[in-house]
Amino acid sequence: MNNNSSLVSNLSRRGFISLAGAAALTASMSACAAGGGSGNAAGSTTLKFWDMPWGPTGYAEEAEKLAKSFQGAGNIKDIGYQQVLWNGFNETYSSAIASKTGPAVSTGGGFQSFQYAAQGAVEYADKLIESFKSDGLYDDFLPHVLDAMKTPEGYVAVPWAVDIQTLWYRKSVLDAAGVAAPTTWDEFLEAGKKIAAKGYYAWGISGGSGNFGPMAILSLMINNGGGLFNEGGELDIVTERNTETAEFVIEAVKAGLTDPGAVSLKDDDLVTQWTNKKVGMGFYYLGLDDQLADKDIVVMDPLKGPHGDTGTIQYVNNIMMYKNTPSLEASEAFVTHYLKNMKVLWEKKLVTQLPALKSIAEASFFTASQSNVDIVNKWQPVAKTLASQGSQSSAKLAAIDGGQAMADFCQTLLGGKTDAKTALTKLHGDIKSVTSS
Amino acid sequence: MALLIAPSVLILLLTNAYPIAYAAFQAVHNGSLINSGEFVGLDNFARVLGGEAFWKAAGFTLVFTFTGVFGSWISGLGLALLLQKRIPARGFLKTILLLPWVVPVVVSSTSWNWLLATDSSPIPSLFRTLGLGEVRFLSDPFLAQVTVCLFIVWLNFPFMMLMMSAALTSVDESIYEAAKIDGATPRQQFIHMTLPIIAKPTYISWVLMTIFCVNEFPAIYLLTHGGPVGSTSTLVVLAYRTVFQNFQTGPGVAIAFMMTVALATVATILFRQIRKSRVE
Repeated sequence: MNNNSSLVSNLSRRGFISLAGAAALTASMSACAAGGGSGNAAGSTTLKFWDMPWGPTGYAEEAEKLAKSFQGAGNIKDIGYQQVLWNGFNETYSSAIASKTGPAVSTGGGFQSFQYAAQGAVEYADKLIESFKSDGLYDDFLPHVLDAMKTPEGYVAVPWAVDIQTLWYRKSVLDAAGVAAPTTWDEFLEAGKKIAAKGYYAWGISGGSGNFGPMAILSLMINNGGGLFNEGGELDIVTERNTETAEFVIEAVKAGLTDPGAVSLKDDDLVTQWTNKKVGMGFYYLGLDDQLADKDIVVMDPLKGPHGDTGTIQYVNNIMMYKNTPSLEASEAFVTHYLKNMKVLWEKKLVTQLPALKSIAEASFFTASQSNVDIVNKWQPVAKTLASQGSQSSAKLAAIDGGQAMADFCQTLLGGKTDAKTALTKLHGDIKSVTSS
Repeated sequence: MALLIAPSVLILLLTNAYPIAYAAFQAVHNGSLINSGEFVGLDNFARVLGGEAFWKAAGFTLVFTFTGVFGSWISGLGLALLLQKRIPARGFLKTILLLPWVVPVVVSSTSWNWLLATDSSPIPSLFRTLGLGEVRFLSDPFLAQVTVCLFIVWLNFPFMMLMMSAALTSVDESIYEAAKIDGATPRQQFIHMTLPIIAKPTYISWVLMTIFCVNEFPAIYLLTHGGPVGSTSTLVVLAYRTVFQNFQTGPGVAIAFMMTVALATVATILFRQIRKSRVE
């Protein structure tokens, strides 16, 4: 008789089953955070503000300083600042909101406010936005960014930044390949082949964990006058324009423009490739040149698609207020404070987004960068949201943004072993499945 | 007596029964993590079973679990037999072999990813240097599946090695001496003596390893995120994605419930086997 035999004698069949059952349910149990304490209880003097890592090192420290410079309102004397990592942020917010231990105010995913508003957890910002009309803030927003927050029920949040995907290129690499910055899709392919022939990754794209790959593909779809939705806001993916886009990506992959291992490349790996001067061209956020402190990296003009269209994707990032707050007045006062003082984040080059406010976008510290100016003047006017070609954002977009359907689609195209229609048909089915209630 | 076990029963109820009951509630509702939603009966189960992703994930879960259980058992048993022999630096070797199990899975997954993910990673570079061509361990769907299966074996063989070492330690050496005198070959001794003697701990380790493998999440998610194109998604990864990426709580919990049924079935079968071996 050994130790294990004694274990056997102590185990019952029911014990085994309950052990198996409990173990299998582990994944779902984390989702079952119902009830719980109230982290924003009335009477609390601290307002909880959760923020995401929106920029390079130094962002969190500065953002916390900015948040804590809030002088308070009513009984609220202090701000509790917390950074939430992108990795698993949905779980963090969902669990916290379900257990009523979440923030009173937060930034977050582009469509998070729509999602939680639909679930009754977010406070609409109509009253706050109305108050902006009297202090000039209302007119300071870039065109259309406020509208992007509007639903039939009201404004789900207040915009603070615009995450816009633009094409960048490394000038020395293009020079080495003897090509000029492309202006059309055809030129992009031709230039890419010459760059690849020199041993570079002509088109830097990452399809593994992260969101760069799907965003690049979506940018191209919108660039070609396509997108996931039609003008009526209905899911409409297997279209002529999207088929052309998918064929373009597959052709680029087959022509060797991308890293053969791009399917599993993480976003961080892509940044490393840019840093190590291995990439010729590719999509990235505003400020890639500043982030890498490398003036050899230049923003491209928007490419013209096969039909002459231009465009890219943008995400209007926002600050949302939750119903679980010790004081709605304090939440509103805090958001106003944050917007009115956030220019320091761009002044210190700590954010890789466009500011949602014209006063910051026109400030000398921002316009001192030619790439910033080009992005504001050339890219932002042609940028559209994930709801494109429709105009109304909704909670459904949260399941698409950063979801598996787009990641699988991107990986399928980057694998290069598919045809456009098959890949698009699967994408349509996958997105329909996650957006139908 | 009832009073004495009451605290334990209460804790068990709170930690097991309540979450299971709440999960059952969610599985038949169309709610979210925040709202309970409306009662939809078995619609969530039908929806999950009607989707291609479920069957794809179920298939890979079977392969992954089978490889994980028997791969780690065979390697664990082999090493346990080796470590029974008087070999130099046996203690040191045992410590080294335990490392995959001791190191946090976050660290080992990240390390494997670093070793394999890109063309410039050390292992693909080595393959290239050896003239074996471009091998894309995590980009090719089939190779990614193979890699994930190897990873789970690597993670779990130390556990099996410990279990089998403990089982082998209790075997009386004199029966082998008697078998040798009777002319039994080492192979015959292993098949007809060693394996039957360690049958009970073997079955237990299979049950435990089956549960570990079916529920394994961090190793897969950190290494491949279930990709490429969902090729390394097991049911637990699919459940996670369904709940937290697609925000479909009901279908996600329904997947977890079906896993529970499958695991309970496997556990019951193996339990019978254990009882049978006890009688024998």
